[in-house]
Amino acid sequence: MRLEKCWFCSSTVYPGHGIQFVRNDAKIYDKLLLQIFRFCRSKCHKNFKMKRNPRKVKWTKAYRRVHGKDMTQDSTFEFERKRNRPERYDRNLAENVLKAIPKIEKIRVTREERHHKNRMKGKKRKIQKEATRELEQGISLVKAPLALQKDPSLTLPQKIKVSVSQQQSEDNNAMEE
Amino acid sequence: MLPQQGGVGVRSELPPPTKPSLEPFFISQHTRQQLPPSPNSSPRPELTVAAEIVTDRGSLSAPCSSELTPSASSLCHRRSSIGVSSILSSVYVLKLDSEVIVGMKFFNLKLWLMIAELLLDSGKIERISGWFDTMVQYNFKKITVVPNGKDFVDIILSRTQRQTPTVVHKGYAISRLRQFYMRKVKYTQQNFHDKLSTIIDEFPRLDDIHPFYGDLLHVLYNKDHYKLALGQINTARNLIGKIAKDYVKLLKYGDSLYRCKCLKVAALGRMCTVIKRIGPSLAYLEQVRQHMARLPSIDPNTRTILICGYPNVGKSSFINKITRADVDVQPYAFTTKSLFVGHTDYKYLRYQVIDTPGILDRPFEDRNIIEMCSITALAHLRAAILFFLDVSGSCGYSIAQQAALFHSIKSLFMNKPLIIVCNKTDLQPLEGISEEDMKLVIEMKSEALKTVIGQGGEATSDDSVLLTMSTLTEEGVISVKNAACERLLNQRVEVKMKSKKINDCLNRFHVAIPKQRDQKERPPCIPQAVLEAKAKEAAEKEKRKTEKDLENANGGAGVYSMNLRKHYILANDEWKEDILPEILDGHNVYDFIDPDILQRVEELEREEGIRQAEEENGEFEIDGAELTPEQQAALAEIRKKKSLLIQQHRIKKSNAESRPTVPRKFDKDKKFTSERMGRQLSSLGLDPSLAIQRMRSRSVSRRGRKRDRSPEGADGGDSMDVDGDTPGKKQRLSRSRSRSRSVSRPPHEVVPGEGLKNSAQKIKAIKLAKKSVMKRNKQARRGEADRVIPTLKPKHLFSGKRSTGKTDRR
Repeated sequence: MRLEKCWFCSSTVYPGHGIQFVRNDAKIYDKLLLQIFRFCRSKCHKNFKMKRNPRKVKWTKAYRRVHGKDMTQDSTFEFERKRNRPERYDRNLAENVLKAIPKIEKIRVTREERHHKNRMKGKKRKIQKEATRELEQGISLVKAPLALQKDPSLTLPQKIKVSVSQQQSEDNNAMEE
Repeated sequence: MLPQQGGVGVRSELPPPTKPSLEPFFISQHTRQQLPPSPNSSPRPELTVAAEIVTDRGSLSAPCSSELTPSASSLCHRRSSIGVSSILSSVYVLKLDSEVIVGMKFFNLKLWLMIAELLLDSGKIERISGWFDTMVQYNFKKITVVPNGKDFVDIILSRTQRQTPTVVHKGYAISRLRQFYMRKVKYTQQNFHDKLSTIIDEFPRLDDIHPFYGDLLHVLYNKDHYKLALGQINTARNLIGKIAKDYVKLLKYGDSLYRCKCLKVAALGRMCTVIKRIGPSLAYLEQVRQHMARLPSIDPNTRTILICGYPNVGKSSFINKITRADVDVQPYAFTTKSLFVGHTDYKYLRYQVIDTPGILDRPFEDRNIIEMCSITALAHLRAAILFFLDVSGSCGYSIAQQAALFHSIKSLFMNKPLIIVCNKTDLQPLEGISEEDMKLVIEMKSEALKTVIGQGGEATSDDSVLLTMSTLTEEGVISVKNAACERLLNQRVEVKMKSKKINDCLNRFHVAIPKQRDQKERPPCIPQAVLEAKAKEAAEKEKRKTEKDLENANGGAGVYSMNLRKHYILANDEWKEDILPEILDGHNVYDFIDPDILQRVEELEREEGIRQAEEENGEFEIDGAELTPEQQAALAEIRKKKSLLIQQHRIKKSNAESRPTVPRKFDKDKKFTSERMGRQLSSLGLDPSLAIQRMRSRSVSRRGRKRDRSPEGADGGDSMDVDGDTPGKKQRLSRSRSRSRSVSRPPHEVVPGEGLKNSAQKIKAIKLAKKSVMKRNKQARRGEADRVIPTLKPKHLFSGKRSTGKTDRR
């Protein structure tokens, strides 16, 4: 029983899930293995049938790796490698392995996070810059130039309470008539 | 008496036949043919004509010509140098005074020469006996089906109809007409002739086949009846030929179509009646054929072991044990009703084992067909005989009865190695039987011993004459088989040894023994370790308990499943029952197994620690100037405004098609009011009062302006709220009403009283309604009735004369 990787999105295919595709002209690669396309769900399968390239489909791991969104090379990946030769069982070894796997996983996760943080490093500054620019440019939507003259800070203008008096209206009426 | 001629001939004496048809070899007239003297032959009087080899087909065709060629005799001298072109006739095996003359019938002389060379040059005695064994087993399975009378007629007539021309007119020339009908008659006759001939040819002639088969067939099918049937077929054939000939003769002088046709009809009719009359014979022959095809293929000339005895003594169980035959074994007598053949091996040779139906002790004439089968087998087959004796009496017959049977048929045991087998010793051991029974058994044994001596063999111990066994517990079965095979083999070898021909062969044997150079003994050298290992292995095999035994002990196949881990080879045996998970946290554990994983993980952690430290050190981020909260508020406001604009624009765009463009004075939403303007200006930070005044002073409204209510002024002056437009009362009411209704049902849901079939229909109806309304909306019309009549009283309708008609009603 093995967990496989989906060929399209690179997520794990658990036993009992997914579909496998073997081509009729099953190309046998140099290690005498048939290339089998495994898919975790019909979404990936259908995309494959549409001949989409996973490297161009945004939500796949392949895209993310190619475009540098996710970590590509790391020593934690070296630990997990498909071994074709079975080893004789050794309890100590098994114990070590079982203890090591969570550790490796943790380290891998931290490294991924670090990578992400690195990627997002300059974002704050960029956002701030954009904000200031927008503020400068758009202040005219909120503040009349006259008010800006009076109060050159880029803040909302003071609300002016306008009291519309009756007398004024009467005057107007008279004028209209 | 066979005449001699020129030194090459046949010795005239024949061994006196002790019983009719007991001798396996038979003499045919053909050997009485004179053999022309061969140039190469030395005066070996016994060697006449060569062997008979029957082809695989089994059935002998009638001996053709009786030419005997010179090479035939020379063959027996093994120097078959003479090329002979003609086909040999049939010659048979003669046994004269321990000399064996082999008769040969051949189709292909070359083939025989090759075989003979091969066999004789091989030099082994047994191969020579194989010479005799090249006589092929009889195979009656290749006889074609005999159709019954009606079918026969149908077949032939339909074939005539299909294969001969069918169309004829009375306008044809007379010769043509005659020819047409003659052809039909002749064709039919030919077909009948062919088919009947095949029948006659394919059925074996009882005189020509091995007497065992001949007698067997006689027992089963009655020789006379069989011969009669075939004879009838033959006469039918001749009759049909005659009929055809006569009618053809008549047809030659037929003068009209009708007459020829009548003649043909008559001819065919008579032929068919002939066939109808032999219908019963055909049916009988078909039955015979079917039964014959199922006869067991017994080779009368090879090594055979025959099992006989009373019914139910255990003959079939014995054959089941030593061969792969699957004979029915049941508690009732006469379970086995015919002969069964099995094959077994001994010393690299194949032995036929024949199981017979039981024989009862009765006078010869009273025997039924089933018993006659066994008697025939006993009589004709040159085999080792195992006479089965049931010492326990569980077959239902006492030892006395069985002994009586033995004595009555002991004449059939002449010249055959006989072994008396006491079966069912698990029920009753041989030592435990009564005195009289023991006496009878000893009598039988002595009889059997006589046969041993009679064959010229040494008077061996009674081990090889009287044996005990039990087929149920399987003890002694193998030893019985071995004893029987051994004795048969010895007898056959002796027989062959005695014939002079073999002596010639013996000359070719030479076992080379290196000359002993000194008196030292040099036995074969087996290392001690090997001997010990062998002994140990033997001992272990006894003691070892197999997995199968364990399984059976613990409840059988479905209940117990063996522990596959038992034999694992691990560094520490305690680990055998360990369970290692295959999957952990979404990873395959087997992908991580590595002998130095600990070390690598430590390295990794160290590295990680370093990296983390680095990271913490270099964790400054130069922040740009942050926005103050007021600036942030302004930014938020800007964004809100922008999104509002976008929203409004989108709405405008979306209903542009159906939205009327109305001039400002008709604004429904009251977007262009002074209050609004004031609000907007004040939100922008300007003082709107002047602007409002100016606007009001300029505007011209026909109706009087409503006096502003001042109850809102209770809180110190009318303060217009800057934020949002509060909708007017009407709008408020309408909106609230609509809102209360809008969420309750989706628009496409069919309400039962509406009169619409389903939601699709409803959606379509809605669409149609909207479509019809769209144009009117664009024109800002309230409804259908909302028309604009530009001129209520157009001049041309209300004035002027008309060219036709009245002007009363304008």
